[in-house]
Amino acid sequence: MSCSKFETDIALYAGGDLPPGSIARVEAHLCECADCRALADELRTAQVLLGELPLEEAMVAQVHHRVLAEIGRADLSPRGALAPLLALAAALLLAAVLFWPRHHALKEVAVASGAASHAAAASHAAPTVPLAPRARHHHDHHRRAPAAPPGPPLLVQFVTDDPNIVIYWLVDQKPQGD
Amino acid sequence: MTAYAREKPGELAAFERIMSQCERRVLRVALRLLNNPQDAQDAAQEVFLRLYKNFGNLNEERGYEPWLYRVTVNVCHDIARGRRHSVGLEEVPEPQAPQPDAYSGAERAQQRELIRRGLSRLGGKERAALVLRDVEGLSTGEVARILGSSENTVRSQISTARLKLRDFTARLVRRRS
Repeated sequence: MSCSKFETDIALYAGGDLPPGSIARVEAHLCECADCRALADELRTAQVLLGELPLEEAMVAQVHHRVLAEIGRADLSPRGALAPLLALAAALLLAAVLFWPRHHALKEVAVASGAASHAAAASHAAPTVPLAPRARHHHDHHRRAPAAPPGPPLLVQFVTDDPNIVIYWLVDQKPQGD
Repeated sequence: MTAYAREKPGELAAFERIMSQCERRVLRVALRLLNNPQDAQDAAQEVFLRLYKNFGNLNEERGYEPWLYRVTVNVCHDIARGRRHSVGLEEVPEPQAPQPDAYSGAERAQQRELIRRGLSRLGGKERAALVLRDVEGLSTGEVARILGSSENTVRSQISTARLKLRDFTARLVRRRS
């Protein structure tokens, strides 16, 4: 058997990983082959050198410190544990401060759907004075007419005190004969 | 609550104790697998944060080492995969052959440097198997369980890795002489 076929087993033998059933065969070859003995010695030396590779203690200490710092930032301090709740409370407070006055100043403005585009265009400059729901009054004298088709949708316009914010609400009207 | 939520008092002290016992091993494996101190520290940090996160769920009787080794190998694998796009292990420049030195200590240090560089040339699975077996001294069966392989596969990887490492160093030594 050539030496190359022993290499794999010699590599295992050098590290003590060869199954017991193969040890005698490899040792017999090593006794008669100087090159393979040299190979086994080199493999053992490499194994020893692997174990001697240094590890700086400063690196270990840095990791230790970094891990504990990361854990401390995450949640262990009382402030850390309450941080999400505090953030939520702050967000709610901010939302209340920003939106409460506008919501309070909402004015309802109803216009006929046919005038929707005009109302939208005019809303930027429109005063916040409520407009009367003209559409309903316009059809009052037809209220008792039988089987009349449903009227056009009613456009309700909410004008806030911010000229850039206008809210439109389309409302389906009941059939005129009801 | 955060991902690191704790329930049992005293767990931090127990965690610190385990970390102190295992941090050298975790960092050493990470350093041998990644061959880069900064990456190895990042990996070790990630491993221990995962340990902390799962501390209450781990079976203490079975020991933390197998779990730590497994996570270390996985984290290093992820880091190496991300790094491969920038500086692949195969792209590490060929090292210069060491010069003969009159002092045996310095010569030994040069031999260790050759081994370190040779280790970085190995494939990921071979390197992991070799590091766990020859650096950490785990048995073939323990290595197999950590890597999720059979013992025969691990033996094959270890044998191949040892021969490659020996060939790499022998080639450089021949070039020197």
